[in-house]
Amino acid sequence: MQLRPKIPLAKCPKTRRRLMAASCALLSAGAARSQEAGVAPVGTGLLEDWSVDSALAYYHEDGRVQAVEPVVNVSKVLADGQSLNFNATFDALSGASPNGALPSHSPQTFTSPSGKAAHVYTIAPGQLPADPHYSDTRFAAGGNWTLPLNRVDQLSVGGKFSVEDDFVSATVDASIAHDFNHKNTTLSFGIYNEYDSLHPVGNTPVPGSDFVSLVRTGGKSKDGVGALLGVTQVMTRTWLSEFNLSVDRFTGYLNDPYKITSIIDSAGNTTGYEYVSRPDQRMRKSVYWENRVAWTSQLSTALSLRYMSDDWAVRSDTAQLHLRWSWSNREQYVEPTFRWYRQTAADFYTPFILDSAKQSTGFESADSRLGAFRALTYGVKYAHKLPGLGSRAESEFSIRAEYYQQTFNEHVPVPSGLQGLDLYPGLKAALVQLGYRF
Amino acid sequence: MKLDRLSFLCLVAGSALVAGCSSLGVKPWQRDVLAREEMRLDANPLDAAIDDHMYFSKEASSGGRSFAGGGCGCN
Repeated sequence: MQLRPKIPLAKCPKTRRRLMAASCALLSAGAARSQEAGVAPVGTGLLEDWSVDSALAYYHEDGRVQAVEPVVNVSKVLADGQSLNFNATFDALSGASPNGALPSHSPQTFTSPSGKAAHVYTIAPGQLPADPHYSDTRFAAGGNWTLPLNRVDQLSVGGKFSVEDDFVSATVDASIAHDFNHKNTTLSFGIYNEYDSLHPVGNTPVPGSDFVSLVRTGGKSKDGVGALLGVTQVMTRTWLSEFNLSVDRFTGYLNDPYKITSIIDSAGNTTGYEYVSRPDQRMRKSVYWENRVAWTSQLSTALSLRYMSDDWAVRSDTAQLHLRWSWSNREQYVEPTFRWYRQTAADFYTPFILDSAKQSTGFESADSRLGAFRALTYGVKYAHKLPGLGSRAESEFSIRAEYYQQTFNEHVPVPSGLQGLDLYPGLKAALVQLGYRF
Repeated sequence: MKLDRLSFLCLVAGSALVAGCSSLGVKPWQRDVLAREEMRLDANPLDAAIDDHMYFSKEASSGGRSFAGGGCGCN
């Protein structure tokens, strides 16, 4: 006997409402999952089904370099779990870049690397020598493809390419990740290879050669390989931890072709300059540990610690804290940031060369980036969620500001002729960034 | 045996994570908080990239969170 309802389902208003409600709930749940997984809704317009993240940053050093940097990143998660990511960056830098020489009680005259007569500059007594004709532009682009191999393994391959007026760089990388422990633990391993080609303005100075005699060679290159082993662990419902070990090795021309070191006599008078001479290989090892914790529905923190060492005797410690406070149903948030950094000097770092002394290693550099210093960064970001564009659920506008300060804390004894000069001026810089993603 | 700082940090953090692997974690239906944007390890990739570029050009260290290569002639 066939059972038939007395009233057809579609004709029963109560049942129809229930079916419609259930259908809506299922569709909503599907949409929510898609959003959570980063799968953009399908659309027809340009980049309609891509996530777009963009920013415009302005960087300004006190009395030195300034830079404008627009960045855009587009990504898409495909239905089969694959994901694509492309990014592009443009930098325009200008201003005065320290050339490495010491300040002096006498005026100092230098020629820019271009060698043009118009690019001869004189530094007043007591001022830090900096090349006022510095300018550079950089364009960088990269991409990444992530491919699930099965339910618990995924492969990722990527590459990036950048071009500057005097520098070309290409990098390829690949990594594999394995989930286990019910996807609470992810073990990943990646390798990369970077190749850089340098064509300095005015050709490449021979390391350690005299600044005035202009002993130069042609283009140079350097090659780097690196590996990173990482573990990501879900600790609790509100705590995620990541631990990475990495090592890399660079060989080739590792100098900064525009940096020089002052040669002084025992009285402290500058008698000449020579180009810096860094070793032609460097191996770095680092440990990185990050913890993200959601303390309440509004407050979360991200604390990262890093220790790095290399065979140039540089040791560095870094601690960075991001704190996020959300309100208005998570439509707005403010994110203060604090970063503390310190490093020891490379074993060949010297702020000057005494003309009576010979460098024991044959290497020397007055490049302050290889000296011993501490740096602090204070920052804050504010973001506001906005209605989405097209079929997107939402977009976000953000503004971010940072202040960065370097302070040198190890001063070597200096001859009397250098007394009263600020040999370690440090660095103060500010960054302002506008961001929009949709 | 003398441990340098790098080895010590590896040992402490590695042990904590490995020990945690077997006993820590959540069930699939307990991932609501972890699914929040700010709990992603790459929550703000552009901010991180711009900061990394600044630090790469001003300091002797880079990388750790990801690959250390710079792709920049600034250092």
